[in-house]
Order: sequence, then structure tokens, then C-alpha cells
Amino acid sequence: MKNTADYVIIGGGISGVTIGYFLMKYGAKNVVILERDYLAAGATGRCGAGIRQQWGTELNCLMAKFSCEFFENAKDELEIGDGIDIEFHQGGYLLLISTERELAQTKKNIALQNSLGIASRLLGTSEINEIAPALSTEGILAGAFHERDGHLNPFHTTQAFARAFVRLGGIIHTNTNVSRVTTDRGRVTGVDTNRGHIATDCVINAAGGYSQQVAAMAGVSLPLYSVRHNILVTEAVERALNPVIMSFSLNFYCQQVPHGSFIMGRTCENQPRDLRVTADSAFPVAMAKTITRAMPPLKKLRMLRQWAGLYNMSPDKCPIYSAAPGLAGFYTAAGYSGHGFMLAPATGQSMAELILGHAPTLPWPRLGLSRFEKGDLILEPSVV
Amino acid sequence: MHNSLEKTGIPTTAEVDAAFPPAERLAKGPVAVIECFQRIPCNPCATSCPRGAILPFADINDIPEINYEACNGCTLCLTKCPGLAIMVVDMTWKDKSGLDRAVIKLPYEFRPLPVVGDDVVALDRAGNFVAMARVVSVLLNHSMNKVPIVSIAVDKQLVPIVRSIRVDVRQRAVVCRCNDLDEAEISAYITGGTTSIEELKRITRLGMGPCQGRNCVPIALGMLSRALGLPIDELEPATYRPSVKSIALGDLAKYDDRGDGLP
Amino acid sequence: MIHTDLLICGAGPAGLCAAIEAGAAGADVLVLERGHAPGGQLVKQTHMFFGSEKQYASYRGFDISDILVAQMSEMPNIRLICDATVLAAYDDGVFAAEIAGKYEKIRPRATVVATGASEKPLLFPGNDLPGVYGAGAVQTLMNQYGIRPAGRVVMLGAGNIGLIVSYQLLQAGVDVLVVCDGAPKIGGYLVHASKLARMGVPIMTSHSVKRAEGEGKVEKVTLWELDKNWQGIAGTEKIFAADTLCVAVGLSPLSELLWQAGCEMLYVPALGGYVPYRDAQLSTSIPGIFVAGDVAGVEEASSAMVTGRLAGLAAAGFLGLDIIALEAKKEDCLAQLHSLRHGHGGKILDGIQQALLDTNNKGDEHA
Repeated sequence: MKNTADYVIIGGGISGVTIGYFLMKYGAKNVVILERDYLAAGATGRCGAGIRQQWGTELNCLMAKFSCEFFENAKDELEIGDGIDIEFHQGGYLLLISTERELAQTKKNIALQNSLGIASRLLGTSEINEIAPALSTEGILAGAFHERDGHLNPFHTTQAFARAFVRLGGIIHTNTNVSRVTTDRGRVTGVDTNRGHIATDCVINAAGGYSQQVAAMAGVSLPLYSVRHNILVTEAVERALNPVIMSFSLNFYCQQVPHGSFIMGRTCENQPRDLRVTADSAFPVAMAKTITRAMPPLKKLRMLRQWAGLYNMSPDKCPIYSAAPGLAGFYTAAGYSGHGFMLAPATGQSMAELILGHAPTLPWPRLGLSRFEKGDLILEPSVV
Repeated sequence: MHNSLEKTGIPTTAEVDAAFPPAERLAKGPVAVIECFQRIPCNPCATSCPRGAILPFADINDIPEINYEACNGCTLCLTKCPGLAIMVVDMTWKDKSGLDRAVIKLPYEFRPLPVVGDDVVALDRAGNFVAMARVVSVLLNHSMNKVPIVSIAVDKQLVPIVRSIRVDVRQRAVVCRCNDLDEAEISAYITGGTTSIEELKRITRLGMGPCQGRNCVPIALGMLSRALGLPIDELEPATYRPSVKSIALGDLAKYDDRGDGLP
Repeated sequence: MIHTDLLICGAGPAGLCAAIEAGAAGADVLVLERGHAPGGQLVKQTHMFFGSEKQYASYRGFDISDILVAQMSEMPNIRLICDATVLAAYDDGVFAAEIAGKYEKIRPRATVVATGASEKPLLFPGNDLPGVYGAGAVQTLMNQYGIRPAGRVVMLGAGNIGLIVSYQLLQAGVDVLVVCDGAPKIGGYLVHASKLARMGVPIMTSHSVKRAEGEGKVEKVTLWELDKNWQGIAGTEKIFAADTLCVAVGLSPLSELLWQAGCEMLYVPALGGYVPYRDAQLSTSIPGIFVAGDVAGVEEASSAMVTGRLAGLAAAGFLGLDIIALEAKKEDCLAQLHSLRHGHGGKILDGIQQALLDTNNKGDEHA
């Protein structure tokens, strides 16, 4: 292992590899990604990997739109051949609306989205039936739909970015655990790993659910915590659901991946915040009750497996792209609050611009840590 | 001209000879051999070479030219060439058996894949039997365009002649019944650098079908153990998650926490 | 949510014995059994058992099952439910099960996991052809359902299961063409091997299957000799016109529930694969979760019964129940186990030693 680097990225999930890719693309040299386990072993490899552009703030709309367009062109952009199929299924995202309040907010959101070039629209129940025949529209007032939203295979997408990063000259060390970030007089000087020390003056914390732990190694405190999120998968069946279905008030999302299995999750109460990713005993029943009410034909579908991953939560449920006050050379990309995968291309580009001192393409300066001190939180209505 | 490439698809000996690198280059190590004789609009070989060894095309119809000194025989272009016109020849391969053999690395798009150690039929450019060849490597990973590369050891004399293999259809050795994965496929992934059971699971879905790994995980751990030369207890174990047996969402949904459900 | 003192997962020899001991101590016991009837593997064991009187030596397995079930049914505080699969063990102490088609949750005060073992799979060309069976499956078809499962069989594996099932196949009128084993010596009891030999069944050690072939089903099985590194030797192939290849290459513990519950696990080849760390009285690294039978390490049914009794006693003790002569009973179980395990060249004893929590530093660290 080379013992110096210009940039050390901690974390080989989707954020780490996109940051690495954009740094190399913008001409950085000697970029190293350190991954404790293997690529996408953490939250990335455990997530539903949906992507929607239907947000309620301009900031998130623009970031998601950029990311979605990136994924649409990923084949050319990342020069991935037929060998990696990132399984981008653009069946749309259908957000179910079941209260008048949701309806009023959704109308505002759609107006905002349309003004930013996102062609979302409001659907009546008959249109919902056409798009997703398995759905019960009982109690549903309307739906918000955007056909270019969808979902990807998170593992293969991470592989695609990683290959592009390596092709551009980047280095990835898997099974490499960072134990300490070394500093000297307010500057980062390197990282200690189980395979030796790497001297660097720039460390990028992309450790997902473990971001606050990595920051603490550098003496940096982040206003983040990680909470367990549960998810389950069914047996594979023929395609029966095209869009991702999501509802804030009914509390679920559900999609059918190209392999044929249904993947679904919901936010559960009383989840541990101690980095545990064990299975929750209450989740399968709660999930099944919700989903079989929303989609009665799924009653016969069999659950194969449940698992869990970490949501890395920020105070306003929006990401942090930031330098660390008081420690030069330490950057953090974290706090996605469950949306890290869908925002990953925006994360990569924004962090590369931040680190290299480029002008912002996306409004990432709004996502700095200073917003929490100033009490200037981002008020995003479209988060769970 | 009645046996020309244009009539039969089989290049002549002279054409093949012209496509081969000079003997002194062959003696230095692995190198690509491109048998692309016709001007067609196609350039991935040139654009994919990380060393620029396949010279940039002025026109997309150009016939590829190799700078043999720059080529290191990495095989990346093999997986990019839609015509499968490229192979890599390594005359410097160390033959531990004491025979005087070289290695030919071929893109091979048929299934089943051979397994390392198999003896396969080596064929010439007309599909005729030449000799039996020993498979020394089978590689497949995400960057390879679903083009596995099979390396075979053949007598050095046969290097200009051998251009393909035939894997006699054999019974598959099945590793994962739920997702229909066989030994050749799993071992190709392992050779390609997937060396933990959890990563193998995520790439192939092995262990996550209805049997939940009961059948396939012990086999896959055994294969990893042999490939890595480590005992199973030094490998990372697989993660087991509920449910031991699949259960219908409708049956889950009927559960009522208040009752004592004994029948 | 079902509440019970003691949940026992599996009503095989270990689970039944655990239930009897804990039930006798007054525990409220719920036994969940995946199959249609209790007894586990005992119900298809038509041969006479080894061991001593305490483990019902000379009785046939299915008779032993009847005896244990009869003892258990005299205790009203033991509830046995069949067609009930335990699906999950969660880290909050909740278990989930499918009981007669219904999803249920159970919160026991203590649990004995006695799920047994499953047959080890083997990788060879043709291993997915119809006609390739696990020996246990063949035994189930013959001895439980009365079906003649094959015409001409090649048996792979000369451990006790391979030898006993071969013998039972002969009894069912099936041709056993050959019993082979990759090891240089017969692994099972030699008296079982001799029963076969005198019926004219050849036993070929240092031989294994090269491949199975056929059009849509097994028609031909090729064996070959193995060298001392267990590699096949070209030129030594022997072809058998068989319609069935029976694989009996050992068992591996059915340990999913233990993994899910978070028990510390250890890979011990002598015990069949991953087994839980446990103390001498079969408590795992998770307080209140005990193990018994093959899931704690693959042995004979006689040992499974004794580990079941020991785990049942230990679980009753954990529940705070008053048991007359508890220590003497445990000592008796430990002494029985010691003598049963002595006969295997010490392999099982060594394996158990490795997995012991309180005598092994590594175990303590893990706990």
C-alpha cells in the first residue's frame, strides 16, 4: 500500500466512489478510497436504491434531477459496457396522497418541480389504476407521478463508479480499516489503518452510517446519528409493478426489481441508534399489514428475507457537504437521512467542487455545517 | 482465391502470420493479437486500451494497429471487441509441468464455462480439432462485459494454429439451486476477485433464495476456502436473516399481537 | 404473542428429551415441530440402536420415539405442536413461527434450540439430475412413506448413515451396486459395513463420484479413485449403470436460528460445521438460549438424547425451578456423554472442547 495520497476517502459505499470518480474526473491525482469491508458492504448494499425527483425544495429537486440524469447517461459517462448492468428501471415514482393536507402540499411541490423542468403531474385514481393495477385506491385521493424516476441495483451501480474511478487512475483498498485521523495544529496529516499509515493533507469522510465515528477520530463533532431502517424482500415473480410506490402518510415504499422480487420498507418506531443492523421482530408484520392493504394481490407473495441498514440522520434530514470548522483538510459528506443513494452523483460532483475550490454547479454551499449553528435549516416537506 | 476469408470467414495462413507480433516481441511476454482484416466502422479496441497501445484511429473504419512495445497483454480489449477478433498470446508462461507450452487467452461467450484444470478441445480457425488443451484460468468480473476470458495452455508449436476451444457439454455442477448458479460461474467470479461470501451473495444472489443458503453457502464457502488456500474458519461467515422458511405476506398481515395464538 | 417458560425448537430425540426433563421439573413447555409428527429422524430409524440401556440400546429408533412421546404426553404442562416451523429468532428475545399455516410470535423465558442437522450438499457434475438424492431423503421415502425409492443405487459415503441406509435399501429390495467413500478408511461402525459386505455389496474406499449422467435422470454414475490429496486419478474411472446416486457425505447443523439470535458461533469440522459456543451444560453465549442434539454438533442419536436431557435440566435450572438431585442428574448426563463420545477416536471430544465457552479463552472473548 502506498503510504502517501493527495486525497483519502473513507468509505467505499456509493458516496465514496462517486466522490472519488468526480475528483479524478476534475483532474485530481493520487486519490485513494479506503473501505473497511468490501464495496457497498454498508448502507449502500442494503438500500432500496430508489430515485425520485419529486421533492419540495428547489435544492433537493435540482440535486435529484442532476443525479437522475447522470444515471440515465451512466453507460456513456462511466463507460460501462454490457458487463455491468446498473439495472436502472425507470418505471416512475408514484407518491400516494391520502389527506387533503398532503394534496395541498403536493400541488405546491408539483408546481415547483415543473418550474425546474421536472415533468411530474397529479393523477386521479383511474390513472393510478392504469399505472399500478395492483394498488387499491381505497382511501387514496390522488397520486403524484414522475415517469423518469425509478430504481437501480445499488451494488452494481457502486461497482460501475468504482471501475470508472480505477480506470481514471484511482486506487481502492478494501478490507482496510481506518483507526485514526492524524492531525497537527489544526490540519489533517494522515490516517492510521490496519495496513499502515497514509500521509495526506485531505481526508473525506464518506462513511455513511459511521460518519460521526469517523469524524470523532479527527476530533470533529457532527450533529448526526444513525438509526436502523428495516427492509424485506419477497420471492421473485413476473413483473406486476412498474413504478415505485411510496406514501408518506401510509408510511411505506415498495418496488419490484428487475430480478422479479419485491423490495419494501417503512419507518418503524423505537429503532436502535447503536449501529445495530439486526432484524426487527415487529417489522415483518407491520410491513405486511401496510402493503397488503395498499396492494391486496401481494397477500400471496412470500417474504424470503428481512434485513436492516443504517439511515444517517441530520437535523433537517438533508445532507451535509462540508469542510470541518477548525480542522483544515477534513471534509464530510454525510447525513443523507435515507436518500444517500439517489443523491450520490450530486454528492460526488458537489464534494469534488467543494474540495477543489470550483464554482458550484449545484447549490451545495447551502449544505454546509454552518447552517445548524445559524439555525438556518432546510425545510424539506417531502421527507418521511 | 476460392478459399479466401471473404468466402469462408477463415483467414489464410499468410493473413494470420501478418497479424502476429514479431517473434522477438512474443519472446518478451504477453501481447495482443488482432485478427481484424476488414474496414468496418468500429473502434472500441483503440478507445479501450489504457496504454494507448492500439493506435488511435483517424477514421472509425481504420484497421487497428498495435504498438507492440506499449501492449502488455492485459486483455482489456478482448472484452471490448464485438468481433472477438483479439486474443492474447503469452509465450513466456511458466509451465510447471515441464512441457513446452504457451498460454492463449481467448474470449469465450458460451456456457457452460470450463473449469480450471479441464481439458478442452482446441480448435483451429476453421473449427477443426487441433489438440486437447488444459484450461489454466477462467476469469469473469463486472468490468468484463459478460465476456469471460479462458486461458489455455497449448504446445508452443500450436500457438499460430489454435484460435478457439470447444467445451464438451457436460453435466453442470450446481452450487445454488434457487438462483441456478453452477460451479464454473461461481469459480469465475472468485477468480475475478470476489473473495468473500457476503460479496458473492450480493453479486449473484447466492444464499438469498428460498433455501436461504442451506444448500449453497456450505458449497460456496468450500470453493472460497480452496481458492484462497484458507480454512473455512478463517473466512468471514455468511449472515443469516429471518426467515428460515418463506412466509406469505398475507399470513404475516393476519397476525394479531393481542391474542394467544395457540391452536 | 405466546408466552411460555420454555420453547423447544424441534421434537427430535434431543427436543423430546429436553421437554421431558424440563416438564418433569414443572416448567411450562411448548415444543414446536416442523414435521407432521414428533420423533425427528428417529421415526425412520428401523435399525437397532447402539449405546447403553440409558439410551435405549437394542431398541429400534421408531420404538424409542414412541417411548419418548408417551412419556411426554403424560405431562399436561408440555404442549407439542406439529406442522410448526420456527422462522426467526430476534435479538429482543422474540421468536416467530408458522404454526399450522398461521404466523405467531413467542416470547419464552428460555429456549432449547434442537433443530437438528441437514444433509451436506456435494458439488459434482450432474448433481442436479433427478435421481441424485440425499441418503436421508431416500430413508424418508422408504421408511416413512413406504416407497421403494430406487432400482439400482450407488451410495456415496461409508459413514454410519451411508452404511445404514444402504442396508435398509437392501432390505427394501433395492440393488446397491457399490458403497464408496473418498476417505481411505470406512468412517462408520465396521459391524454395519460387514452387514453389507456379507450381502455382496462392495465397499470402495478412496473413491468418489466423478460425475453423474443421463437424459433427464441419472443413468450412469462414474466413480474414480482419489489420491491422498483427495484429487481424482485419471484412468481409474469405473462406470456404474445406476438410476440413483445417494449422497451421504455428512450432516451440517441447522444453525440459522442461533445465528439470527446472535449466538457466538465457531467452525468445527469435527462437529459438522458452524456450531455455537456453549458451556458444559449447553447454554450458548446468549443467556437463556440452550442447544441440544445435532445443532450443537453432529453426533449419534444416542448422544442427542443425552444432550437433550442435559439442556432440559439446565434450562429448568435457569428458570429457577426446584429439581430434586439436579446436580446428580447433570453429572449422570455428562458421564453418559463422555462414554458415548469416547469411541470415535476422540474426534468429537476434541471438537466439543474447542466449542466450550468456559474452558476456552477464545470463547470467553467472543462471549
